[in-house]
Amino acid sequence: MMASRTFIRRSIGVVLIVVALIAQAMASFFAQELIADAAILAIFALSLDLLATCGLISFGHAGLLGVGCYVFAGVTVLMGGSPNLAFLAAIVAGACVAFMVGLFAVRTTGAFFIMVTLAAAEMLFSWGYRSPTFGGANGMGGVPRLDLTPIAIDLNDPRVFALTMIVLCIAIWLLLELVVSSPFGRTLAAIRQNPSRVAALGGRVFLYRLAAFTASGAIAALAGALKVQHINFISPDLVSWFVSGDVLIAVVIGGVGTLVGGPLGAALLVLLKELLSSTFGHWYLFLGIIFACVALLMPKGIVGSLLDLSGRRKVRAAGSHVEPSEGAA
Amino acid sequence: MIALETRLLHRSFGSLAATQDVSLAFEAGLRYAIIGPNGAGKTTYFNLLAGNLRPDSGTILFAGRDVTRLDVTSRAKIGIARSFQRNNLFSDFTVRDNLMLACALRAGTTRVFWRPMRQTTSANAEADEIAARVGLADVLGTTVRQLSYGSQRQLEVALALACQPQVLLLDEPTSGMSPEETARMHELISAIPRSLTVIVIEHDMDIVLDIADRIIVLDYGRVLEQGTPAEIRASTVVRQRYLGEPAAGFSGGAAP
Repeated sequence: MMASRTFIRRSIGVVLIVVALIAQAMASFFAQELIADAAILAIFALSLDLLATCGLISFGHAGLLGVGCYVFAGVTVLMGGSPNLAFLAAIVAGACVAFMVGLFAVRTTGAFFIMVTLAAAEMLFSWGYRSPTFGGANGMGGVPRLDLTPIAIDLNDPRVFALTMIVLCIAIWLLLELVVSSPFGRTLAAIRQNPSRVAALGGRVFLYRLAAFTASGAIAALAGALKVQHINFISPDLVSWFVSGDVLIAVVIGGVGTLVGGPLGAALLVLLKELLSSTFGHWYLFLGIIFACVALLMPKGIVGSLLDLSGRRKVRAAGSHVEPSEGAA
Repeated sequence: MIALETRLLHRSFGSLAATQDVSLAFEAGLRYAIIGPNGAGKTTYFNLLAGNLRPDSGTILFAGRDVTRLDVTSRAKIGIARSFQRNNLFSDFTVRDNLMLACALRAGTTRVFWRPMRQTTSANAEADEIAARVGLADVLGTTVRQLSYGSQRQLEVALALACQPQVLLLDEPTSGMSPEETARMHELISAIPRSLTVIVIEHDMDIVLDIADRIIVLDYGRVLEQGTPAEIRASTVVRQRYLGEPAAGFSGGAAP
């Protein structure tokens, strides 16, 4: 059962990759920007879903993305450092900040965790909003891209950049697929289902959640560093709770805890935004209605619903083998 | 040798003293049954032993070491494992994944993130072995939520066994079970190796009298009586307080 669910999830991932690569190959100059945007949001969504594996839903993930944005922009523009060094610094900083926030945040769950993460992200936002070093609310331009010319990749070419983002997204997806199937990842999934039993079996729930939050922070910051170099610009808007909301929508629409759902949701979100905003004035309204409908009709998201559908068919095929469970006394 | 000992253990919930000055010593390798009417404080005492609850006062010693301040995770690590009165499993996982996870947590391999768990051969083999022991070998691939209630109860005990504990605490392993399922659980408990100290809360007096080397009777949070099954059977206090009139016999344990 579990193996087949994994197989379906990975198959959806492969289909998504093929579609993305075909779209990228055929896309116009402008559409390359959208594809890069979707791929970066997809990486960000993967980082949020890794955290959701252990049952934690963050509403302040833009804060960790923002750490990556500000460290990358700070090291390159303000300190004149190399973009490649800045990229590593951003990832490490994301992990460090997530670790420190996590020391407090992962002691809570549910609504409290949402509030703690939101508060932490808003702190970074209000600092960025007023910080004169980074141009405050106006933002700051001139953020360079990674220098991959030694391996003959010119990221200033939009086509190359978009393709590189897709490849990076695939690499992170594969890495996380390995992680969720590992003993560590299975422990995270067990914690999501029943943290008290994990504790009774000798697992330190707090440490596993902290590790997941730290890893998630590193990947979110990586996405942030990609985001600022994509638009060559940094502004506090990148850290606003709107961004946390967008990535949450992407993961929920795609399917929480499915990994591949996040990228799928991210692609749909970017696509719908583009279609709606070019047609309607109040496009966020229509976007909201569409996502409310998806959430109501498919509470487990697109991928989650597909998995349930295949699971049900399988149970029916197995016939009356399944005994009804009685209530506990 | 004393495996586990409590000294003047006390725990209250508001004005209700659920455990009052309970001093008991559990000898290594023996099987103990804790009986008593509903509300006698059996599960509270278990929660104190396993570390799910902190006592208000008193001491808990494990192999002579003071473990009063250790939480449930630390106690699981040093060798006190428990099962729960209500099924407390990983319901999205298969039986195999439940067992493998328990084995991996015990073995300390759950920080491995670079290799799929299914390729961990030691945990795989151990899951097979435990499943065979408790009679779950046929349903290893079944998701827990599709498992019969009786099999879920068996898995509940199996997870505690997977911790390879020195002291095993079983909280009403047969609760809610059909007679056939109860018989299977009876076998399972009888087959637990003698190297383990087993403490079981149980209402089914047939099982209690068959498996227990010592019986402890709790009432209003206090130890009413303790002794061998023969001694308990003969005890007038127990007959009066727990079993009702002497004529009532031993078969009518209180319903859960």
